[in-house]
Amino acid sequence: MASAPKRRPRIRPIINLVAAILVTGMVLFVAFFPAGPLPALGPAFNPTTGAWTMAADAQVGDQTLRLQGLRQPVSVVFESNGTAHITAQTDHDLFLATGYVHARFRLFQMDLMRRQGEGRLSEIVGKAALDTDRFELQLGLLRTAQTEWSQLSTSDASRDALIAYAQGVNDRIGEAESAHQLDAMFTLLGYRPQPWSPIDSLLVKGDMTQTLNFTDTPLVMALLNKSLGTDLTSEWFPVQPPNLQAPYDPGPYAKASTAPIETVTQLTDAEAQSAEALYQRLAALPPGLISQGGASNNWAVAGAKSVSGGALLAGDPHLHLTLPAIWFQLTMDSPGYHAAGVSIPGTPVVLIGHNEHIAWSLTDAQNQQTFFYNEKEDNAHPGMYFWNGAWQKYRTVGYDIPVHGGQAAHVDVRLSVHGPVITERGQATSVWWAGNLPSQDLGVLLRIGQAANYQQFRDALRDWHSPTHNFVYADDKGNIGLISAGYYPLVAHGQPWLPMPGTGENDVTGTIPYDQIPQVYNPPDNIIWSANQRQVKASYPYYIGTASNFFDPGYRADEIHRVLSRPGKLSASDMMALQTDTRDFLASEMVPVLLQTLAGTQLSAKESAAVAQLRGWDYRMDADSVAATIWNAFWSAYLDETFSPWWKSRAVPVGREEEGNSNKLDDALGQDLETWTLHDPANRAFSAPGVGSRTAPDAQKAAFQKAVAQLAQKLGGAPSSWSWGRVHARQLENLAHITGLNYGPRQDRGDANTPLAAGGFPSTHGPSWRMVVDWGARSFQGVYPGGQSENPASPWYTNRVDTWWSGLLDPMLSADAAASAAGVKKWSLRP
Amino acid sequence: MEPAALRIAVLVLTGVIVALLGVLLGAWWTPFFVGAAFGLIIRRPAVAIPLGTVSGLLAWLFPLAGAQLRYGLGPTSVSLAEIMGFDHQGTLPVVLTLLVGTLLGLTGAWLACAVGMIVRPQPR
Repeated sequence: MASAPKRRPRIRPIINLVAAILVTGMVLFVAFFPAGPLPALGPAFNPTTGAWTMAADAQVGDQTLRLQGLRQPVSVVFESNGTAHITAQTDHDLFLATGYVHARFRLFQMDLMRRQGEGRLSEIVGKAALDTDRFELQLGLLRTAQTEWSQLSTSDASRDALIAYAQGVNDRIGEAESAHQLDAMFTLLGYRPQPWSPIDSLLVKGDMTQTLNFTDTPLVMALLNKSLGTDLTSEWFPVQPPNLQAPYDPGPYAKASTAPIETVTQLTDAEAQSAEALYQRLAALPPGLISQGGASNNWAVAGAKSVSGGALLAGDPHLHLTLPAIWFQLTMDSPGYHAAGVSIPGTPVVLIGHNEHIAWSLTDAQNQQTFFYNEKEDNAHPGMYFWNGAWQKYRTVGYDIPVHGGQAAHVDVRLSVHGPVITERGQATSVWWAGNLPSQDLGVLLRIGQAANYQQFRDALRDWHSPTHNFVYADDKGNIGLISAGYYPLVAHGQPWLPMPGTGENDVTGTIPYDQIPQVYNPPDNIIWSANQRQVKASYPYYIGTASNFFDPGYRADEIHRVLSRPGKLSASDMMALQTDTRDFLASEMVPVLLQTLAGTQLSAKESAAVAQLRGWDYRMDADSVAATIWNAFWSAYLDETFSPWWKSRAVPVGREEEGNSNKLDDALGQDLETWTLHDPANRAFSAPGVGSRTAPDAQKAAFQKAVAQLAQKLGGAPSSWSWGRVHARQLENLAHITGLNYGPRQDRGDANTPLAAGGFPSTHGPSWRMVVDWGARSFQGVYPGGQSENPASPWYTNRVDTWWSGLLDPMLSADAAASAAGVKKWSLRP
Repeated sequence: MEPAALRIAVLVLTGVIVALLGVLLGAWWTPFFVGAAFGLIIRRPAVAIPLGTVSGLLAWLFPLAGAQLRYGLGPTSVSLAEIMGFDHQGTLPVVLTLLVGTLLGLTGAWLACAVGMIVRPQPR
């Protein structure tokens, strides 16, 4: 009997099904979920609602839009370069429309800035931002913004402005979401923006305060004190500048009734360890969270010294150069507010600009606003600190930090009477920071925008607390002024440039009275200037910060003062030329000394060729200048030759060129080196341990030889080919750290000492906005590097860069003039 | 045209239109279900899978082509390439985008066909 045929198992369909499930699973997974660096591909690349919508977003045409909350129609005119002119019939509508326009072009930037301030970056970028978020929540920008908001009375004009502005931002968020026009970065990162609140605007203001004003300098000073010793630290990093500077307020000053500043004493090991732990933590934070040195210029020329007969004003705040830029240019017109200039997206006011009668700009004042306190604790009093003779309980605030792709983190912040405790290692250290005190800056800026004379301008600034700024002023009557507004904290006694005991004796007790802060009005020489230099002479009766480490070395201010104080009258063109001035004041002092030192010295062929380049040099750091390259290499080698042996022998834990501290230590040491070279060539600093007895000329010769050898190795060829542009470039960095969307690096002129500030290799900081006002000709001009839109596909992403790069300015048109200009786009906003 | 061929043509056209409408309305995953529908309705994988694939491709291609005609996609594709770390290779985001649409249609049809081959009675 034949057996029944066996049925073959159906293997192939099963294999097929398994393969189909696997492949489909993979495809659907990467389509629906982010995988590694890739976003969820489906929503991200969906051609109708994904990142491709940036193509539509890049178009700006004539439009009629309906906005919730508007009371009357509003007109918005865009010049061909993107400058916005907003004209409203009520103040409320003006601020609402400003919020809408800001959000239309900068919503992602605004969201990043508020997230930074409120410690919620981890929510979108994952645990990489967790340390930043923890630090921000500890420092307290969110707490300060909430306090500022709660302190605004219902009748306060800035409260109304903030509410209207938030409504405008939220109108745009709603519109963008329903039209699938959110910025592509939201799509690619896979999140939607939360509604905007007035507190978010205050957080953005807080970010700027932190960037400009929160320093770790006392920690650095503590480390220097411990490693270098008290004698060298006090000699090399003194309170008063060792070099000759050009303060804008020469006095005379009113008498102060404060205690004298004490001399530096040795720190304990525990205090030094605590300072080092905290310093390392702060140094590891991303750029921008700690103030990294000042660099901004502003000046004014009275009508009596100007060609046009009207006052001149020039301002160029130097900040991190980003794409999109920190600035958004606009004019704001309503019955109660007329201002033109630049605003920070996220805030409803013009920060730098002019109105019908006055113009203003600002630079960072650089005075010390951050103080560290070592809290006294012991095991018998857990959760407490000793202050004013009694044990006090820390106040504790807890925060949950959502983390993208991970579990939420929690941070408890302990608060002493001084401020948040931001380190726990070895020694609890708290930070007293003026940026944590409520400062109604937006209200001040509103009143500045409405001011018509110096008295009103000065009165408005009385309420400006932090960050301290040098506000320069020029009006349509030919008057000029400069006032360094803000808090100047005074401590009862102690050494405020070091971490101080937190037991109460060294607490901040107040501030310098407003009438005694640095300020001038219509000075006899008809010029005023600030470039982050110390504003006052040594005879000023208050401590405002260490000259070496808080204030700029002063070379930009020296150069600006040199140019402005020349005989003859000045024009707006002269202002523009000075803004792009590349003359290095320090080089003009040092190079003649170097050439004198090298005269008669046996030199190699390359060294002789290098000397020939330096002879006859005009000290301009131009891109095609060979002497500029040689000077820069020499100065760096000279610093190294003098100070490296000390750093090595004393094992100093802070690098001389580290960016983490407020100013590079080399900026401070350079002032010493300049002074010794000119006036004290036998200073003991030149005879470092291990190098024997030397003088300044010995160190100069060695440094010059090393500099030429280094350049020959790096650049090769004849010295005549070593142009500055080969080693020095500038770069505008994408705000989201997408290197492909950077601009540059591109060869550029200038250095850290030139009015056209361009320190670094490549330089990423510099004039973030240039403005020149001539009241005599009623001419207003300005430009910033970048463009109005954050969308990289927009023609307004980098359209202003070339104008800025070449040192030119665009006219700042009035709304009426803009409306009749060629190529404008018009929006009609309706209720 | 043969009725069977006509039926398939109508089916294909309907599928592409549905997939396209879905994508235009923001439902970017529609091609997957259209592909799956092809796989369930058309019993021959050799026909269903290519149809699903093409419908997915077209459903993502047409809106992209429309955007190109209206706005020009050059700066956008280069920007996306930069964001993704592909330097200035602007064609890569386009290829990636079309690949996603294509794969959605393909896998939908393939999975449906594979399930069909298991659950349907096999011809003797």
